[in-house]
Amino acid sequence: MQTNAQPVVMIVDDEEMVITSISAYLRLETEYQIDGFTDPQEAARRLETNPVDVVVTDFLMPKMNGVQLLARSKQLQPEAARILLTGHADKQNAILAINEVGVYQYLEKPWDNAQLLLVIQSAIERTQLFRQLREKISELDAAHGNLKDIQTRLLRAFL
Amino acid sequence: MASAPANESVVAEVHRMASVGRMLAAVVHELNTPIASLLSNSQTALRSIELLKDLVAGGRDPARAMAVLDNLASLAAVDELACERVAAVVRSLRPFSRAGGVRCQTRIHDLLDDALKLVEWTYRRRIAVQRDFGEIPEIECLPEALRQVFLNLLVNAGQAIEGEGVVTVRTRAEGDCIHIAISDTGKGIRPEDRPRIFSRGFTTKPAGEGTGLGLALARDIVTGAHGGSIDFESQPGAGATFHVRLPIAYNRHAD
Repeated sequence: MQTNAQPVVMIVDDEEMVITSISAYLRLETEYQIDGFTDPQEAARRLETNPVDVVVTDFLMPKMNGVQLLARSKQLQPEAARILLTGHADKQNAILAINEVGVYQYLEKPWDNAQLLLVIQSAIERTQLFRQLREKISELDAAHGNLKDIQTRLLRAFL
Repeated sequence: MASAPANESVVAEVHRMASVGRMLAAVVHELNTPIASLLSNSQTALRSIELLKDLVAGGRDPARAMAVLDNLASLAAVDELACERVAAVVRSLRPFSRAGGVRCQTRIHDLLDDALKLVEWTYRRRIAVQRDFGEIPEIECLPEALRQVFLNLLVNAGQAIEGEGVVTVRTRAEGDCIHIAISDTGKGIRPEDRPRIFSRGFTTKPAGEGTGLGLALARDIVTGAHGGSIDFESQPGAGATFHVRLPIAYNRHAD
């Protein structure tokens, strides 16, 4: 997927008030596009079609938990950074999240706005670097292919 | 219960504290979301004020100032909602903060609602509650003690369900009794556990989760203090139902 000019932050929490609070702060401090979802399944569907830079999700939600959503996100958009923001200080879930879906950060509620912003900023930077790197690699691949092609033609022309 | 020795009431009190304690994790979780939101919003409000001061002092970018104000307004509504949630938690804990109590005319449905309100957080959205309340008369009883009995049965019902399920609370008037049935769609009670289920100290819950006193005390309260009965039926893997029967006209001069 292409790099977004305006970074996209997806926030998923079955509690609407959490989405409103985080969005209000991010709107104040940043120019990010914020996509909030109270339904994790709907969020997973959005990930199929729309590139995001960061997914911030709660853990305990009906229908699909946060680790399941992040696993889906990893599958669909491996570069997008994954952040778990949970009210459950549950070691087991943290281990699961780190081992199974490679979370970028595990944060607990209540969160500190400034800290959350720092984490999201560096996560976006990381995602965009990954995407740039992939673009460069495919450019190099293409250039390499071209060179090979030229070399073959040269060999054919002169030998 | 009135004729029980002094250490019996100590046991009952220890259990009351332990079972409310078990609710604490759910209470903390229920309070955490609105509090997290309120904390974040107050930080956002302070940042907004700083920004607005700069914008006003500079006399520039009124559109940006309006956007900041609109953003703040959206938070005021969330703050009110969050405070209401905290207040609701406090209100629903209040009935359980009273111990002992005296006999009085009571609506059993109110006691069931008190217990359900508290236990529904532990169920989160995992367990659906069905209330099938019939027409039942008020009865004279010890409301604090019965509320505790219902809380215990509901906590047990929730713990019996792994994953998703349903807890049904049914009330009916049956002759000279009120019949309260609490059913779950959980794992059921193993045949070998059935004879010991009302024994003191017997629990199938992991260490730290059960006191092994809940059902023993429930039986004392229902039979001893109210002249009623408590029993259960269960199929392994197909849930359990606890039946509490309370006489409508208990011999109120007995104690």
